[in-house]
Amino acid sequence: MDFVLTDDQSAVVDAIDRLAQSFNEKPIDFHGFALRGDALEQALIEGEYFDIVQIPEYGPTAAALAVSRLAQAPFAVEAALSMLLRHALPGDDWPRPLAVVENGRPGRFVAQARTLIIIDGECIGLARPTPDMLEAVDSIFAYPMGRLVGQPQITPLDGATADTVRQWLRVALAAEASGLLQAALASTVEHVSVRKQFGRPIGTFQALRHRLAECAVLSGGVRWLALQAAATGRPGDAALAASHAQESATRVVYDLHQMLGAMGMTLEHPLHLWTYRLKALLSELGGRGGQAQAVAELCFEAG
Amino acid sequence: MDFDWTAEQLSFRATVRRFLAENLPPDWETRADGPASEMQSEFAEVFCGKLAQAGLLVPHWPARWGGRDADAWTAFILAEEMWMAGEPRGGQYMNVNWIGPTLMLFGSEAQQQRYIPPMAQGKTIWCQGFSEPEAGSDLASLRTRADRHDEVYRINGQKIWTSYAGYADTCFLLARTSPGKGGISIFLLPMDTKGITVRQIPSVIGEGDIHEVFFDDVEVPASAMLGAEGQAWEIVRTSLSLERVGIPRFAMATRMLTRAVTTLKKAGRFGAGAVEQAARAKAACEAARLYSYNIIDQRVRGVTASPEASAARVATVMAERAVGEFVVEHLPDALAGGDTMLLAHHQRAIVAGIASGAAEIQLNLVATELLKLPREPR
Repeated sequence: MDFVLTDDQSAVVDAIDRLAQSFNEKPIDFHGFALRGDALEQALIEGEYFDIVQIPEYGPTAAALAVSRLAQAPFAVEAALSMLLRHALPGDDWPRPLAVVENGRPGRFVAQARTLIIIDGECIGLARPTPDMLEAVDSIFAYPMGRLVGQPQITPLDGATADTVRQWLRVALAAEASGLLQAALASTVEHVSVRKQFGRPIGTFQALRHRLAECAVLSGGVRWLALQAAATGRPGDAALAASHAQESATRVVYDLHQMLGAMGMTLEHPLHLWTYRLKALLSELGGRGGQAQAVAELCFEAG
Repeated sequence: MDFDWTAEQLSFRATVRRFLAENLPPDWETRADGPASEMQSEFAEVFCGKLAQAGLLVPHWPARWGGRDADAWTAFILAEEMWMAGEPRGGQYMNVNWIGPTLMLFGSEAQQQRYIPPMAQGKTIWCQGFSEPEAGSDLASLRTRADRHDEVYRINGQKIWTSYAGYADTCFLLARTSPGKGGISIFLLPMDTKGITVRQIPSVIGEGDIHEVFFDDVEVPASAMLGAEGQAWEIVRTSLSLERVGIPRFAMATRMLTRAVTTLKKAGRFGAGAVEQAARAKAACEAARLYSYNIIDQRVRGVTASPEASAARVATVMAERAVGEFVVEHLPDALAGGDTMLLAHHQRAIVAGIASGAAEIQLNLVATELLKLPREPR
């Protein structure tokens, strides 16, 4: 057991942190749902950050921390699947961005994707769609959402490979959720620390302090489970991480919006950029029921 | 970052498990009847003596005091295995975790010589005289008084919810020597001193666990004071930082969750509702485990008082609750004569958010120290 990053891991995570900081400000004239981070994405490509998982000194732990950090930015970039799944796909010619089409539903970054992971019930396949097969979809989720309208050629995955893909999809989901939770929490802490009612900051009221503290504990737990799942590469750890991420996000998103009051309902305030991204994650990979089934199969096998 | 054990740590865990297999009676798991029952307390004395002989009672203590200077991981692996086995050390776990180390830091030479060797030999039980009827979470308002008369202090007052008091040899007692938070002092008080009355309080936790302790003109020499007059708050902060991540409750909770799931599977009762709740509980246990390990990792690196310990405690309470609720809802038969270990765990788990300080105090600390929220007005 060692919970400290190596110098190499710290260096790459710090570099991504510095890069993300230069994209930290939400444009003041933006009032839409999804804020795409094309410039941030370009900077990540130029820095060759999408492939850090392949570099032994960094590995999946640093990649998970990078995904988590990038998810805290107001701008959405397809980083999670590129950084945490792509290395696990068979062969090496699956271009990014990557996106998941789950049982025909719209998904995050599908309209921009050059590689699709197509989940159809228990079957998983890979496809390289052409742009005319994809369509952007307006949605309340704060990611650019899209759907598959054409019929790309699908390469089906065998059972073992499909299991590996499911595992890293779960790690990617948990790492992304971890960053979103941290950013949403920080935004709420800032609000309740300055917003006054009854003559004092509402963050001094114990009813909110305790709720917020519980949200922080849940959010920190998601972070630890995501890092463990990335570091160990064990399928059970990935299932636990995704399960805890979806369970925690369900509660935390509600609580944080309560604390922001009407301000959190506006598109001027950035909270929705993280909470509505979290909401987009809640249904993925079968939702909480799907994760629970995976945990039951992978973590209680002795019984 | 590494989430796996070293070969040395795995070997140590195997040694502890082998010791438990060889020294716990075959019917141990069917006779666990409360953490401080007469049976448990008597068994603990023999068991801890054997642990000490095997070098497994206080390996993390300095060699001077019978240990081998092992690191905090060794102590925690040991604690995990003991707690998972139903804590056969009984109340002596407190000696190992924080009373001994606190005496090493703050005790006089005479106090150390008198009290530490029996702890290292597994021969003594302590109780913790903190809570009072009017001083629970607001510990600083405690009223038990220790008035100085020449070379003795005369103690009057009452403690309550005191675990292990019925069998304890010594009390780690907090008493007021002057007004205010800075007026509290600590006394190491032999429980056979004249004027002490102990009354057991029947509880759902099990036989012999909680007590009222009355002090009527109890006289102790001034040399029984730990540290200086008024130093209690500083000493207790150190003690509680060790205790906050002292009991690896998540380990027993995880084991009992697996045990309940196994029983349900065999009975064909592990349906969709149970699966979802079990997964939630398992993830909560795992989060508590990693939170706790982070604190141990910090201890190994010399960080002893981290606000993250409060988050670890809250995560542990969440895990205990999730497992407890799972068993109550899906395997209630276990608590009605069906499984002594699940019952024993349930009885211990219900105090997870209360024992060693209410979890709500930890939530306050998380809010103030980790989230940096503005403080409540007082």
